Amino acid sequence: MRLRFFVRRLAMLIVSLLVASFVIFAAIYLAPGNPIAALSGGRSIPPESLKVLEARYHLDQPFLVQYWYWLTNALHGNLGISITLRENVSDLIASRISTTAGLVLFSSILIIAIGVGLGIAAGLRPGLLDTSALVITAISASLPAFVAAIVLILVFAVQLQWFPSLGNGVGFFDQIKHLTLPAVALAISSLAIVARVTRAAIREESRKEHVQTAVSRGIPTAQLILRHVLRNAAIPITTISGITIASLIAVAAVVEVVFGLAGLGAYLVQSAQSKDLAVVQGISLLLVGAFVAVNVLVDVLYAVLDPRVSLGSRAQ
Amino acid sequence: MSGKQTIHRVIAAVGVLALVLVACGGRTTGGTTTGGLQLQVTTKPGTKPVDKVVWAVYRDVNSLDPIYAFDYPENTTDSLLYESLLRQAPDGSIGPGLATMTNPDPLTIVLTLKPGVKFWDGNPVTADDVVYSLDRNTDAKLAGFYPAVFTRVQSITATGANEVTIKMKQADYWFIGELASIPAMIVEKSFTIAQGSNYGTPAGKIMGTGEYKFQSFTPGVAVVMVRNDNYWDSSAKPLVREIDIKGAPNDASLTSALETGGINGVYAQGLTTLDQLKASKAVTITYGPGWYTDAFIVSNLKGPLGDVRVRQALSLALDRKGLIDAIYKGTAALPRWISNSGTFGYGKSVFQAAYDSSPDMTQDITKAKQLITDAGAAGKSITIGMSSELTGISIEAAALKAAAEAIGMKATLHSVSAQNFINFFIDPKARVGIDGFFTLNYGDYAGPEALLATFLIPEGSQNFDGWGVQGTDPNAAAHAQIAAMFDDARGTADPNARAQKVADVEKAIATDLTWIPVLQPWVPTIMSANLSGAYSSFAYMFSPWAEKLGGT
Repeated sequence: MRLRFFVRRLAMLIVSLLVASFVIFAAIYLAPGNPIAALSGGRSIPPESLKVLEARYHLDQPFLVQYWYWLTNALHGNLGISITLRENVSDLIASRISTTAGLVLFSSILIIAIGVGLGIAAGLRPGLLDTSALVITAISASLPAFVAAIVLILVFAVQLQWFPSLGNGVGFFDQIKHLTLPAVALAISSLAIVARVTRAAIREESRKEHVQTAVSRGIPTAQLILRHVLRNAAIPITTISGITIASLIAVAAVVEVVFGLAGLGAYLVQSAQSKDLAVVQGISLLLVGAFVAVNVLVDVLYAVLDPRVSLGSRAQ
Repeated sequence: MSGKQTIHRVIAAVGVLALVLVACGGRTTGGTTTGGLQLQVTTKPGTKPVDKVVWAVYRDVNSLDPIYAFDYPENTTDSLLYESLLRQAPDGSIGPGLATMTNPDPLTIVLTLKPGVKFWDGNPVTADDVVYSLDRNTDAKLAGFYPAVFTRVQSITATGANEVTIKMKQADYWFIGELASIPAMIVEKSFTIAQGSNYGTPAGKIMGTGEYKFQSFTPGVAVVMVRNDNYWDSSAKPLVREIDIKGAPNDASLTSALETGGINGVYAQGLTTLDQLKASKAVTITYGPGWYTDAFIVSNLKGPLGDVRVRQALSLALDRKGLIDAIYKGTAALPRWISNSGTFGYGKSVFQAAYDSSPDMTQDITKAKQLITDAGAAGKSITIGMSSELTGISIEAAALKAAAEAIGMKATLHSVSAQNFINFFIDPKARVGIDGFFTLNYGDYAGPEALLATFLIPEGSQNFDGWGVQGTDPNAAAHAQIAAMFDDARGTADPNARAQKVADVEKAIATDLTWIPVLQPWVPTIMSANLSGAYSSFAYMFSPWAEKLGGT
């Protein structure tokens, strides 16, 4: 059963990557612009140099031939060469992966710790806390990451000067400091959504008969919450957390651009603009892969959290 | 009403700025006056050591190989790491660099390396390194961006351990300007060969002679360089230990980083947030002469623009003052010639006298209408290539359309994406049906001919309309005369005589409006308030602009 689940998921991943690679390649190919011209910033590159460079990157070949070159190389583990930087795409991606991973991880921690925590607190304690949590989350849920980023820069970087507004930083603590505002900007709306779903799930579970029975039997509150309320509310909380965290991988691009972080998302945007095909392909496939991986992880978590759910049952 | 107020505010701001500059200007280092504002070619030398400066460029650096340096980010970086054979001073004048030059006859250039010049690794710069570095420009396999510079070169040979002789097919005094620019930046032969295709990429290393030596190149983060304490000229004393060149993603991020100290300096181009920074106490802004021109390129002489009177009428109808405020926040001058007056790097007094005798290109709708009537061009239509995604370009295109309509012509805007805009420059197919498009363009050194050579000679890379060529140009005969004057200047040895000839060409094409100049931008040098000493002219694109940079 387990093996079948993983084999099926792996097949799905491969098909997704293949389809995505073709669609993205075609989209970039059809998009306007010339990747060689992007090197000159608006001056006329000599025609003879243009010709040599176009031939070097197979840009003078028909579309399907270009795709075939890319695909056969990619299957041999060679993701190609960036036209802009004249360097291996895999090296360029590797140098930026930690920034995006760090940013998404930092945001995920914020979302789970604060979002779930706030949701539980609000769900268990109706009253002032609950009402204010509802109002705050209603506002922040509708705040797009780029708006949050601008507000955070204005308040915490320009006015208060607590955090830097640009760049990655050097060394562990400096990097954390540089990633704080971006992570908050990225987390803020997802955090609110997770908090609201958690609160609703906790509310619903608390009203259920088995919880009421447990209360009447005098089971201690801590145990009651942990084993009867949270355990059962865990499925919807995991679902919403999984979806939002997977979506962070895509939204990270916006935040990386605003904060000038050397991450994959910002690099994807930049490469798409300069039509650096091999780079766009490489990053896109990595992001598609990460998205699928997070979803598999959520499925596995379902089975762990609820023994009644068998692996892959959601997909059937 | 509100437009007028804005203009008054800008005038007031410029006035205050001029007062401030006069009050704390210190030494005036050979500036030119424009509209009451003193343009400075450099800022007051820094006095205190600084550990680290982060300098912004408009996008990430793509390559550290000078043969691929063709745009602001690469030029700004390479000019600190490498040195050219001759050197351009902040005011554009050319003097010795790594070498001194003599011209025994018009077809011979002899370059003698200065004693003791050496690379960062301590190896001396040899004649072999020089020949190798120059030859890389024309190596077809490398596909560098400067082969056209060498069209009149016959041979480049090492004629001694420290001497290189360049034989020309035809006298070419413009080539000397190029020897003080990017194509003549020297790399170490053995090192470059060992690096192979990795040279100048993030994976590779480089070897230059500059006051700053390469430390790391991390795309998306920065190019990091540190002071070369082993620099061959021991009288040079750079004050900054480390300089990071960083791509700033957009104007907003750049501005907040300048205000918070995350970025310490930038040479700005058409910065939309300039007014905000003018008001900020965190930075100082110095204005210097630019060597670039903001112009409308006429790309089709077979349409209405083939008639010189139509070109003159459009130029007269254009609201240039409005554009200076809208796009450059007041930091540009009205043109008199196609070239920016900042480009007068030699024959200065000759150029300046000729320039002063030329009128500003101001608006005169009545005269423009008369020219349209004379030309019988009323109701005729032109198509302007533009991109609505590029703010400056779309403002200019709208202004030209308004100018055309004000004098009884019609104008259509042909908009393409920002990425596609470059195709007007490189793809003849993209220019079909287009009468012209806008550009911000410059040459490789401070001489008006550096830019003019790209469109005043038939094979010029930016001669898009076949100007001066029978069959494409209705005035080919008259234009061929201007081209002949221009060619004559190219072979004139005496700088003042050459300047006079180039000035005559400028005057002729300012009437002919081969390109229609829109305005002449200044260079705004924006630095943290506690820094000073950076060059503040366009020389930052080619010369060691940080040699005097330091704390105040």
